[in-house]
Amino acid sequence: MSELRWNPLLGEWVATATHRQDRTFLPPADYCPLCPTKPGGFPTEVPESIYDMVVFENRFPSLRPDPPLPAIEGTELYPVRPGQGVCEVVLYSPNHNTTLAAEPVEQLYKLVRVWTDRFIELGALPFVDYVFEFENKGEAIGVTLHHPHGQIYAYPFIPPRVLRELKQSRDHHDETGRCLLCDIIVEERRAGRRIIAENKSFVAYIPFFASYPYEVHIASSRHLQALSDLEQTEQKDLAELLKQVLVAYDRLFNLSFPYMMVLHPRPTDGGSYDDYHFHIEFYPPLRTATKLKYLAGSETGAGMFINDTLAEEKAAEVRSHVEPVVWKRDER
Amino acid sequence: MTTTQQSEQQGMHRRRITLADGRYMIFYTFDESPVAQTETQGAGDGASEKRESEPQPQAEEERRV
Repeated sequence: MSELRWNPLLGEWVATATHRQDRTFLPPADYCPLCPTKPGGFPTEVPESIYDMVVFENRFPSLRPDPPLPAIEGTELYPVRPGQGVCEVVLYSPNHNTTLAAEPVEQLYKLVRVWTDRFIELGALPFVDYVFEFENKGEAIGVTLHHPHGQIYAYPFIPPRVLRELKQSRDHHDETGRCLLCDIIVEERRAGRRIIAENKSFVAYIPFFASYPYEVHIASSRHLQALSDLEQTEQKDLAELLKQVLVAYDRLFNLSFPYMMVLHPRPTDGGSYDDYHFHIEFYPPLRTATKLKYLAGSETGAGMFINDTLAEEKAAEVRSHVEPVVWKRDER
Repeated sequence: MTTTQQSEQQGMHRRRITLADGRYMIFYTFDESPVAQTETQGAGDGASEKRESEPQPQAEEERRV
């Protein structure tokens, strides 16, 4: 069963996808369904092993291009619609025992290009209004498969958090004539203390208003709306900054750092979003090496985050672990 | 499993196949040859071995109220 149910209290859609209860949960490494099928071995989801990246439709999608009709009839108060959209899985490597942080910067550059390709293709589908690319990493986040991978949800609507950013951006532009995120970047660069790393095209920082202790945002210096607007040099600069942030994360506590990484491009519904600004956000659940930041009563029930740390101090901590990135060949 | 589409764009090659259950799968390969280590690769090298040390939810006193 898969459908979208309207929540009139919050004015947002909730996906009901009961079949996902049966998805594979933390299998042993020898039985990873995302590893390439080995000769004579059990058939995994991936029949070949020679590739740089693989993208495929999720076997347990919450949204699908040709969804079944809702199993329940909606009402005026409770509209229901088919769960139409696309859910994709992005495999970063055939190697089960790697992570994005462990991959060379060249592999991250390839990922940026794959993200761009998927944004363009999925965004062109008539029923897709927003292409959401993300990674959940680590059991602390709730991953069910350890093989290094990200996901893409192509929604038939603009999700509420992005809608809120769009409204804030538009309101700020109406009031000042300037881009909100461009102003945030200027403010962060002026303060300097929350900058993690930067290069010619991108800047990484823990924002003044961070909700999570180690929340890092990566924004493009140039005002643009999506990955598809990047020049090749900017794609490489983004790969480089991603590599620096991910490695610094792992070095913080000398462990494979769990996080949610989400990309925030413009919607693909055909509207005009010139006042929006593409960026990436990381929400790591750790507040110390052994303690998690829980989304409890205030965060979940009221939507107000309480951050037990200072962004300025945490930024200095992460920054101290940033090191230069070296490309294999002189590709810059 | 059938190959339905192949394309190339600036050194990025896509091969799209259809799986037995009707889902598509796209294999991406790039002209760049396999790559070597980078200076910053060290921390991630032991990442998989360290997964077991990922923090788990702590005792009740760690819960935010």
